Amino acid sequence: MSTLSFEAAPVPIRDEVAAALPNVWARIGEPGTWLTAEQRTAIAAEARNVAGCALCAERKAAISPFAVDGEHNHLGALPEVWVDIIHRVMSDPGRLSERWFREVTSSGISPREYVELIGVVVSVVGIDTFCRGIGQDAPEIPDAQDGAPSPETPEHLNIELAWVPTLDPDHDGPLQREFYPGSAAHIRRALTLVPATARSFWEMANTLYLRGDQMRDFGTEYRAISHAQIEMIAGRVSALNQCLY
Amino acid sequence: MLLRASGEHSGDDYDLSALLGKSGDESGIPNAGVLLEFAEAAVGADPARLDAARAAVIEAMGGEALADAAGVAALFNAIDRVADSTGIPLEDDKAEMTEGMRDQLGINAFGETPEPAKA
Repeated sequence: MSTLSFEAAPVPIRDEVAAALPNVWARIGEPGTWLTAEQRTAIAAEARNVAGCALCAERKAAISPFAVDGEHNHLGALPEVWVDIIHRVMSDPGRLSERWFREVTSSGISPREYVELIGVVVSVVGIDTFCRGIGQDAPEIPDAQDGAPSPETPEHLNIELAWVPTLDPDHDGPLQREFYPGSAAHIRRALTLVPATARSFWEMANTLYLRGDQMRDFGTEYRAISHAQIEMIAGRVSALNQCLY
Repeated sequence: MLLRASGEHSGDDYDLSALLGKSGDESGIPNAGVLLEFAEAAVGADPARLDAARAAVIEAMGGEALADAAGVAALFNAIDRVADSTGIPLEDDKAEMTEGMRDQLGINAFGETPEPAKA
């Protein structure tokens, strides 16, 4: 059972959002593909802990975040490299670099563990931001459930598109048909190294934003705000995050 | 890019600089000012500012609009981190179509971070 519910939300919440987000949230407490439930809940807790980190504030203010050394204010449950990834992704995502990625993935976390970690972090970001936005308290982090991870490595990976390997759309397979229905936009490929992580992320994305087919259907409004209003909000948030994509 | 496409579909001429710091009131998009203030507050760290921004959206557009605006702000606060942490590049066709707009708005400067030379 999820610790997130919108039954008492201060404003009306669409049914698909009220159904999807508790599912996404509950998965944080379940064993993942490569990470245990304990690791996943610890990642979520560390993501929420970043706000008060002095090192992150100092790096954010620096010309280069890579020029400032120090120790993060952390909860002590995760390896140092994992903590640094979480803190940088939370506090200054627009200034991550490929060299930094290569360094961290050669010193204590594999690319597939990295992708799953990112999936947990962005689930926390999405759901906490949504709850704050509507004026509802953020949910408690779910308890870690028993069980072991269920490893899954997709076949036919592309290692040239991004820093992380991604599911190659040029091969026909069930995962390609699931994740690239009509389009293999790069953002849809980003988390596909860990299919369960990609699946959970897009469950959140399709309900909070729009499905791919709805994005370009300008003749129909699917939300209580218009396409133009949606894209304006998206653009402003991405600008604040210094996101080039 | 989709904002521009939306304007082209509706025949409206939206001021894209609303994305990067203008109040939004001159963008041509209804309720742009309250929505942009809400978007900034939703991803910011000032609870009082967010309370005021939330109330302004509800007053102008209603609770369902607030929930959908919160959803978009939340999703892009997350998806920006997906893009930045996985190093996915902008598609060539999108880069080509938006080259002038990105240059005009200064978006091309995003992510330009000097790294110290390795010892």
